[in-house]
Amino acid sequence: MQRRMLWRGSFLMAAGLFIARIGVAATGAEYQVKAAFIYKFATYVRWPATTGVDVNTPFVIGVLGKDPFGSALSEVVRGQSVQGRVIVIRNIGRPEEALRCDLVFVSSSERSNLQQILAALRGVPVLTVSDVDQFAEQGGMIGLVTTEDDHIRFSINKAAIERPGLRASSQLLQLARIVGDAEADRGRH
Amino acid sequence: MSSSLSIGRQLAWLSVVSSGAALLAASLALLYFQLQEVRSGTLVRLESVTDLIAFNIASAVDFNDAQAATAILSALKTRPAVISAGVVVKGRVFAGYSRPGARVAEGGDLLMTSAASRFKEQELTVYRRISSEGRPLGMLFIRVDLSDIGQTWRRFALITGLVAIPALLIAILISQLPRRAISRPILKLASLAAAVSDRKDYSVRAPTVKSAAEIEQLVITFNQMLTEIQGQHAEIEEARAKLEQRVIDRTRELEARTEQLEERGRELAAANGELEAFSYSVSHDLRAPLRAIDGFSKALLSEYGEDRKLDQRGIHFLARVRAGTQRMSLLIDDMLHLAQVTRRPLERSDVDVTAVAAEVAAELARRNSDRLVRCTIEPDLRASADSHLLTIVFENLLGNAWKFTGLQEDARIDVGQTSAGGEPVFFVRDNGAGFDAAYADRLFSPFQRLHDESEFEGTGIGLATVKRIITRHGGLVSAEGKEGSGATFYFTLGGMS
Repeated sequence: MQRRMLWRGSFLMAAGLFIARIGVAATGAEYQVKAAFIYKFATYVRWPATTGVDVNTPFVIGVLGKDPFGSALSEVVRGQSVQGRVIVIRNIGRPEEALRCDLVFVSSSERSNLQQILAALRGVPVLTVSDVDQFAEQGGMIGLVTTEDDHIRFSINKAAIERPGLRASSQLLQLARIVGDAEADRGRH
Repeated sequence: MSSSLSIGRQLAWLSVVSSGAALLAASLALLYFQLQEVRSGTLVRLESVTDLIAFNIASAVDFNDAQAATAILSALKTRPAVISAGVVVKGRVFAGYSRPGARVAEGGDLLMTSAASRFKEQELTVYRRISSEGRPLGMLFIRVDLSDIGQTWRRFALITGLVAIPALLIAILISQLPRRAISRPILKLASLAAAVSDRKDYSVRAPTVKSAAEIEQLVITFNQMLTEIQGQHAEIEEARAKLEQRVIDRTRELEARTEQLEERGRELAAANGELEAFSYSVSHDLRAPLRAIDGFSKALLSEYGEDRKLDQRGIHFLARVRAGTQRMSLLIDDMLHLAQVTRRPLERSDVDVTAVAAEVAAELARRNSDRLVRCTIEPDLRASADSHLLTIVFENLLGNAWKFTGLQEDARIDVGQTSAGGEPVFFVRDNGAGFDAAYADRLFSPFQRLHDESEFEGTGIGLATVKRIITRHGGLVSAEGKEGSGATFYFTLGGMS
């Protein structure tokens, strides 16, 4: 609720505040931002220790479906790491392959298979991110949203994240619109 | 008491000034440390707030969420000291906050400093790097107003003042204690000393009071001094009493002695008077038989000498008898003269001394016309004296001078005046035979002769008469001379005052 007020307030205060506006009108620019967000999500989330991975195991980001980033994502993660692990990007076609990833971006091309994908990854410690509408509400973990003034924001389904033992930091949570997956459950039945 | 302060007051001042200075120094030190404390406290608090916000705001910057960042910064409105705050990303202000009414922070002056914090005038600005997972995201600054520190400071100064004033008052009260302990005994001692010197009462003692060691020592020493003075005073008193007794005794003795002397004097005067009366009557009575002897000897010579009834021998014997009687007559005359001088009352008048001396000298010259004596008398000599007695003095002195220059070819006599001690001194000087100075004191006694009768005739009474006359005038007479080279007689006539 407070979050929504801030969202609305931002339009009113925009004139008086110093806000760096980053235009995301162009699709390329939009996915550059989204690529950066994906990498940053990885830095604000903790994976459960039981995953048993060591530093030498690469951090795998999977892009499920048609890759919308072009070179943007690989440019963002180049030279970067997540908790000391080298980042590797994989394009994957099937939800099963996503089980071997640490983070999966569900492309909008998979909109129709969404329930199936989410069902496959339910309870698995893989962070799911997508810009499909109502992604978090439908049971995804982080849904990317483009605002009316072309800013990229996100919603977080806290229950979906915490179910497999992932933990989003409060810093991340304070920026997100928090949604529950009750409606997603409802949608399934 | 002079214009200088009393010891008590000086001590009081000293303690008040010293405690005041100590208080002031302590207060200033306290104020300074309090100010430092407040400043560093403010800095620490601001730094922790800045740390917290930098941490909280990192994700908003990271995800380019200016609204969220602004919302986080706006939480600072609960802190009225915060003037402004902002997040700068890549040289641009990403989000900002400013206190209502405050100037909006300008991006320009926020960037240059790399210092963690800086104080500037009444403002303190703290800077923090915003980062996530080691990735630098931007810079956060928070600027606070320090004027409330000034308020704190003033409040503290007020409290310090409120504490310091009663403390000073207490110090003044405490300063009265040494005043009691030091000033009072000293004042007591001073008044005691004054009383002692006023009443000469050396028996009092200063009470020994509990006080500073020096004061106690002073009191003890003062008392010792009093004891000593008392002892000395008693000794002096005793000595004085003894002396007084001695003076009284001596006076009594002297009085007795004086009485004896007076008695003796009276007796002597009576005896003297009797003697004088006796010698006068004897002289007087001796004259008649002497005249008879002389008269009859003369008759015998004239009646029997020329008729040859007496031989040459008889004539010679008779002549010797006559010479003897004449000489005896002369002696009797002189003695009568001397007695007369003593008996006659003194009648002073202004006497022309020059005239008296000149007259006597002229008479002498007439009587001894065979001699040539150069007699010089100083003109205008005057004196207050009995003119008859003064004439006798000159008769004797000039007569002597005449007589004793008898063997001198170029005889000279000078009469003049000098002065001694402001008193006129007359003198008679001759260049005659003079006398042996060893016998000078015997000159003025009667019947004393320094020369042989055959050389210079005389009875030896003349100078005794002179002395008696001068003594009656209250003057002094003296003589100086040398055998063979003249004599000078000096006399004063007294009665000057």
